[in-house]
Amino acid sequence: MTDLISLRRSPRTLLERDGHPGPGPGKLGLVMARAGVGKTAVLTSIGVDALLSGQKVLHISIERTIDKVREWYDEKLVEMLKHNKKLEHLSVLQLAMERNRHIHTFVGQSFSVDRIRHTIELLGDAMEFVPAVIILDRTEYTELNPSSIADLKEVAAEIGAEIWMACRTHRDGPQAEPGHLPPPADSFEDLVDAAFSLVPQDAKIRLHVIKDQDQMVGKDLNILLDPQTLLLVTGVTAKK
Amino acid sequence: MSSDISKIRNIGISAHIDSGKTTLTERILFYTQRIHAIHDVKGKDGVGATMDHMELERERGITITSAATHVEWNDHHINIIDTPGHVDFTIEVERSLQVLDGAVLVLCAVAGVQSQSITVDRQMKRYKVPRIAFVNKCDRSGANPERVTNALSDKLGHNAVLLQLPIGLEADFDGVVDLVEMRAIYFRGDNGEQIEIGEIPAELRDEADERHAELLDAASMFSDELMEAALEDAATPELIHEAVRAGVLSLELTPVFIGSAYKNKGVQPLMDAVTRYLPSPLDVPIEAIDLDQDGAAVELQPDPDAQTVAYAFKLDEGRYGQLTFLRIYQGTLRKGDTVIQTRTRKKIKIGRVVRMHADKMEDIEAATAGDIVGLFGIDCHTGDTFTGIGPRINMTSMYVPDPVISLSVHPVDSKAQDNMSKALSRFTKEDPTFQVRLDAESNETIISGMGELHLDVYVERMKREYSAEVETGAPQVAYREAISRRADFDYLHKKQTGGSGQYAKVVGYIEPSDEGEYEFVDEIRGGRIPTEYIPACDKGFRASLDKGALIGFPVVGVKAVLTDGNSHAVDSSDMAFMTASRMAFREAYKKAKPRILEPVMRVSVEGPGEFQGTIYKSLMQRRGTVLGSTEDAGFARVDADVPLAEMFGYSTDLRSGTQGKAEFTMEFSKYAPAPAEVSEELLTKYKSNISDEEDA
Repeated sequence: MTDLISLRRSPRTLLERDGHPGPGPGKLGLVMARAGVGKTAVLTSIGVDALLSGQKVLHISIERTIDKVREWYDEKLVEMLKHNKKLEHLSVLQLAMERNRHIHTFVGQSFSVDRIRHTIELLGDAMEFVPAVIILDRTEYTELNPSSIADLKEVAAEIGAEIWMACRTHRDGPQAEPGHLPPPADSFEDLVDAAFSLVPQDAKIRLHVIKDQDQMVGKDLNILLDPQTLLLVTGVTAKK
Repeated sequence: MSSDISKIRNIGISAHIDSGKTTLTERILFYTQRIHAIHDVKGKDGVGATMDHMELERERGITITSAATHVEWNDHHINIIDTPGHVDFTIEVERSLQVLDGAVLVLCAVAGVQSQSITVDRQMKRYKVPRIAFVNKCDRSGANPERVTNALSDKLGHNAVLLQLPIGLEADFDGVVDLVEMRAIYFRGDNGEQIEIGEIPAELRDEADERHAELLDAASMFSDELMEAALEDAATPELIHEAVRAGVLSLELTPVFIGSAYKNKGVQPLMDAVTRYLPSPLDVPIEAIDLDQDGAAVELQPDPDAQTVAYAFKLDEGRYGQLTFLRIYQGTLRKGDTVIQTRTRKKIKIGRVVRMHADKMEDIEAATAGDIVGLFGIDCHTGDTFTGIGPRINMTSMYVPDPVISLSVHPVDSKAQDNMSKALSRFTKEDPTFQVRLDAESNETIISGMGELHLDVYVERMKREYSAEVETGAPQVAYREAISRRADFDYLHKKQTGGSGQYAKVVGYIEPSDEGEYEFVDEIRGGRIPTEYIPACDKGFRASLDKGALIGFPVVGVKAVLTDGNSHAVDSSDMAFMTASRMAFREAYKKAKPRILEPVMRVSVEGPGEFQGTIYKSLMQRRGTVLGSTEDAGFARVDADVPLAEMFGYSTDLRSGTQGKAEFTMEFSKYAPAPAEVSEELLTKYKSNISDEEDA
């Protein structure tokens, strides 16, 4: 088996601390971007990152098929293996990923904290599956409000899981106030522990770490993502 | 019939069992005047639907083998392939998909998108078959075509759009609103054969306007012309039809039609849609391989004057001998012509060319590219290609999954023995996933296939069609063995003790092959092994793969590389090199860390949400890897990969655990390494069987 940690190329690696591969249990991470920039791709890469770190992942989505989500994970893994010239490990790693990942999709309905709680309980009771990372894809289409996000953090904290969500920003909408997250995330920014924003620029995607360790990040790390894969371009950072 | 290829449609009708596809086919045959009376599956009149022509199908009320038939509608020539609804017969579905240009996905208005529909849809995606959907049984209590349309999008990922609205539902289902022409359509007369066009009922007007706008939005994505016309409020039905067709052909739009075949409503507009939106053979690129050009890909042209290329996709034993169903991809097939069977290079003279209508037939003189016909009197297998004089063209071989389960069969007497042989020879020609072999040690006949039901049906057919009474053994899983690392060999086979001797030396290595297939590589330089003995080495390695040393199952995925060796001017022979290679393989196999592979099935279980936990547990108890779950309006579906060995009796357990409310489908997914404890158990069992045999 190959060294899995060395394969990680997700932006989540920028947030690891205290020996933990991400923001940590009970914390909420946010991926912000305009429609079509690649929020889902980044969330998937975070899911793969957690799996490569030996964590269990619950990927929750609405109106996506299980096969579709599986395809994304497989694509990300292939990219990471190709990059490290270790494609021969694909089938073994795919199997390992499947054992540590559960994809749960809601059809024709939005998320609700109660449903998510119910799903987590079912997975724990019936399969002893307790996720360390919960990915909520397409939250921008739901009615999750600050109070339900707080409830959700509580559910995650109870089982020691980290949560990642997407948040759609608007090109023509109000801009971020200095020292705050851009709308609409500003309405629940106290609940957010880590946040990335993705900005397309000259056929590239620039990633800004705008919040980390519960604090707004003053200094922009200015990182480039591969526009095809939305994975970190190793060794390449953008000019400030 | 029309000779215009653009007016040919080769379509399949696929669905979950009991969605009513056989009834729908029956109605199509009635409206196109191929039959003169309507019968139903499990019909009270004891006749049975026309497409279910086998006795067993009539009894079970399900369609087991494909039957092809042709109809004419709106000056179009339509070949309908009725596809089986049970996943155990998946090769039938796959065969159909190979020759189809388009399909109608039949869904039940009450049950919606069921597990079988998901499997069939996955297969259609694999073959890139454009499809339209028909939501059937709108007369049933609980019918909800809108929910089914949403499920098509949500569960199957289709861009589904309603082209009709129901006028009334359940017992009040009276007709449909045509959202393209914005009119009401009613089906009158004893059998719904009289179409009555009317105004949209006032109470549906607003909803119809809204849905028409949605349709324009969806369709205009495929036509700039329609988009511009829609902005100016000038969209015509023709523009909408063209745009919907473009969307269907690109596999990016699934128009949804509604009706009740049983109540004779909605079938004729569906037939209009088949001719309007599904592709003709001209719309679908067909790739074949040229065996004269080392298997290079060639694109065939549906040109009646080009070299004939036809593909046998189904064999049927009829009253007049073997009937072979062919799809003609290029050229023309005429009665009296001679064609060449690509596999055997035999020349075959075409006797009768027939067009099939379920179990009735019509003799024709010729058929052209794009068409599907039956031929009598040719000896071939399913999957054979026939060509006119010219390059050796072969249709790309269709995907044939490996059999995953086997069963021993013993004829009860000598008469049954003869009949069983005839039956097995017939079935193996018809169905590439059904295989027969004689176990050299036990002298038993072993049949293998894709599932318990698959083998059950053939055993039944042996009894009914061939009067072959047989007893069967317990089902056995088809395991495989594979090596997991490289191992070197250096073996000298030498017997020179008087008389003609044997001498052969082989040096090289075996390793897992990239493609998972057996591969032989000759890297001998300087004639260390004379060229004439190299094929014998290949043969020796190949023979070693039939029975692995671990549990006696075939070895897969081995690359054997010969790097060096030696020979003797007098004592070397083919036999000596074959033996040396076999012994070298045996030596290297132990060092190459062999392991047991087991067949793993993709299982989809669907049931009421309250049983989701029970379903998870039932799969986990069977060593399943749960891939994911879907919640949909109180129902849950769980997808998992489960070893086949654990699936025996699952149907009963699932029923009892869910009060009979959950159901499942499964299809072969892959071979995967068996866990250590399972391997250990299999090894112990194999060793004990061998020692029992030795004691005996």
